[in-house]
Amino acid sequence: MVEKVLSCKKKQKIAVASAQDDNTISAIYRAVNEGFAEGILVGDLSSINETCRKKDIDPSRFSIIGTESDTEAARLAVHLAKTGEADIIMKGLVGTDIFLRAVIDKEKGLLIPGAALAYVGAVEIPSYHKLLFLTDLAVIPFPDMNQKIQMAEYSLEIARTFGIEKPKIALVGASEKVSPHFPNTADYAQMCKMAAEGKFGDCIMDGPLDLFLACDKHSPEIKGVRTPVNGDADILLFPSLESSNPFYKSLMLFAGGEIAGLIRGTTKPVIVMSRSESEKSKYYCIAMSCLMAQN
Amino acid sequence: MVLKSLSDLRKIVAGGPMRKLVLAAAQDQHSLGAVIRAWKDNIIEPILIGDKEGIQNICASNNYDIEGLRIIHEPDMDMAVEMSVKMVSNKQADVLMKGKIGTSTLLKHVLNKEWGLRTGSLLSHFALFEVDTYHKVIAVTDVAMNIAPTLKDKISIINNSVSCLIKLGYVMPKVAVLGAVEMVNESMEATLDAALLSKMNQRDQIKNCIIDGPLAFDNAVSLESAQHKGIRSEVAGDTDLLLMPDIEVGNVLYKSLVFFAKAKVAAVILGARVPIVLTSRSDSEQAKYDSILLSAAASK
Repeated sequence: MVEKVLSCKKKQKIAVASAQDDNTISAIYRAVNEGFAEGILVGDLSSINETCRKKDIDPSRFSIIGTESDTEAARLAVHLAKTGEADIIMKGLVGTDIFLRAVIDKEKGLLIPGAALAYVGAVEIPSYHKLLFLTDLAVIPFPDMNQKIQMAEYSLEIARTFGIEKPKIALVGASEKVSPHFPNTADYAQMCKMAAEGKFGDCIMDGPLDLFLACDKHSPEIKGVRTPVNGDADILLFPSLESSNPFYKSLMLFAGGEIAGLIRGTTKPVIVMSRSESEKSKYYCIAMSCLMAQN
Repeated sequence: MVLKSLSDLRKIVAGGPMRKLVLAAAQDQHSLGAVIRAWKDNIIEPILIGDKEGIQNICASNNYDIEGLRIIHEPDMDMAVEMSVKMVSNKQADVLMKGKIGTSTLLKHVLNKEWGLRTGSLLSHFALFEVDTYHKVIAVTDVAMNIAPTLKDKISIINNSVSCLIKLGYVMPKVAVLGAVEMVNESMEATLDAALLSKMNQRDQIKNCIIDGPLAFDNAVSLESAQHKGIRSEVAGDTDLLLMPDIEVGNVLYKSLVFFAKAKVAAVILGARVPIVLTSRSDSEQAKYDSILLSAAASK
């Protein structure tokens, strides 16, 4: 992923709201040094300078804008993106709710009218043979049909940007059977029909599929299930945050996974990372957003 | 005692009398291997009920030495299951295992009002996972049996699991009730149930364990994550048992641990008079063996 970004010519300007956070500043600094990003740090001036000093980072490498509060920082970062002075915005040491409220503000925000916000993550897992895209990991607790369709579109767009021409997208359920006990499975069946009619462009969509059928190439044969995804999924679309959240966290904590991700449904890429994420994860997010921003 | 690995189950089994395991409709390629291995390792004493010729053929073609193995001939599968369940209800066997029949057929007999194995509790699935990235074995429930448990069901599921953990030697196991977030959120029912379960535990309405929730997965299994979020909890980072909000979540997590995190797993159905082993074709030979081991350890 990083290689792809490094080959980009144009630098992307990233505005960080409440940037006074160790890992965030270090990650931006790395991207700046590698030449694919410029940083605009918005937030508490003295804390930003102090964080830079602590990390031995030269603050003059960034543009820094002082603000009085987290809310103001979030609004200003959004404003910079809205007016074209920033290409990407990123959450620093501010609560996700405050940050997203600024993003979705009807007049001053970045929401595409009528669009659902959804988080698409890309995980690298030692036990999987390629990058795996996941959605939604952060925004919609129980997506309805319309939101699932948008989640599929966002993740497909991102997978294609990563060079996967015909992404395989698995709609994840507890089993491969459409069942009245699982209302999501009816949505899935309809979405597959739409995919067959070309609604999602060039892709292979199937669901419901359990995780084995989606990701384990031996599973379809063992279970005797024929699926075009065939244990080789590029994208997993989840029925709820309740299932996607422990899933990606289990990858990070137990399976040595590394994750990057961004929010779609906005006019510019938006990076929201938990405050506890590592510098490396934040750096990957920046790289991924830069890749998306220039497309 | 806390299990550090699934092989610790061997120590528990080694101390007690040999458990009798009855394999219902035993002419089953997928379960016979594990049953015979557990027999050879002195973990259980098997009783195979089913089509004798079918059983012998499978054993012969796999070179299983079955000298001295108890086989009861019953070619009719439904009758074989009925006989197996009756043996358990007559206390002639300590563990029931599914052979070449569907889960629903087995459960129909298990739940039979006259001679079934009901206890008044809900049946629930209980799984132990060994991942080398966690400092001990972690139990997860319910990933396979109850589709969308109510609060009342969740209480039964916790009680089933806690009694099992106590039989395995745990004292006051730590139970994390899983949510997508660690805050109570009125639009996510799982987090409301989690708060209620925690409170009921504080008031001793659910005993013999320490319950906290909602906890997101990272807070439940990583102290560092919990501390970073400022969560104060006796359970966070040191969970023994993870309660799933529903089967959709449980299924994904179970498969993530097995496939992506290369976990070893052992599983059993609890809530009947004896532990029930239900393995599926996609389980590894080792998982089937470890499930037999778990059920023997849990059948005290």
